[in-house]
Amino acid sequence: MTRPLGGAPKTETKTMKRILLVAAVGVSIAAAGTTMAGDYEAGRKKAAEVCAACHGEDGNKTLTPDTPRLAGQYYDYIVHALLAFQKGKRENPLMSPMAKPLTREDIHNVAYFFSKQKGLETKY
Amino acid sequence: MALGMAFGASSLLHAADGDSAVGRQKNQMCEGCHGVAGFRTAYPVVYSAPKLGGQNIAYIVKALHDFRAGTRKHPSMNSIAASLSDKDIADLAAYYGVDAK
Repeated sequence: MTRPLGGAPKTETKTMKRILLVAAVGVSIAAAGTTMAGDYEAGRKKAAEVCAACHGEDGNKTLTPDTPRLAGQYYDYIVHALLAFQKGKRENPLMSPMAKPLTREDIHNVAYFFSKQKGLETKY
Repeated sequence: MALGMAFGASSLLHAADGDSAVGRQKNQMCEGCHGVAGFRTAYPVVYSAPKLGGQNIAYIVKALHDFRAGTRKHPSMNSIAASLSDKDIADLAAYYGVDAK
């Protein structure tokens, strides 16, 4: 096996590329993490537009008794429920069409907003 | 007057529907997941088991009926709900929930 003289620098370049790739992946994970937390203000606005009519502005005053309260519910549970409605894994004539047009960001934002309201509690 | 009667009728209805104290005696199968703050399901996907304290009674009743009928799907909730009678569901909902605002 013979190596061209330029072998060493090439390897270095590869190493650099790897480092950059790892760094880039790290940055995207961090960015995804930020999205995961949800934007409270964006969530409040979106919730007022699409959720409030049935669940109440803060998720406590529901239009009908069999509509769930969302205030204080777990953030990740609300995200899970909305994704299930969106994917058709959970179906409801009212919720399915409401969830469909939501973006991934909308879902995280409204879930974050409702999770921060005072309401539901863990009851043993 | 009419409003008062309507409220009276609806609380009577709930009182007849479920017994909170009896629900407290029946919740052993609920508390392992719903009674632990921050408890996260391990299967089929990971997320927090929803808080039930202060939820609307009628919603809890509907959710349990849907799980029992299989129209709403979750492995553990489907099997747990399958073991509940209408009265069990009403009692549990009365224990965990409150009347809708």
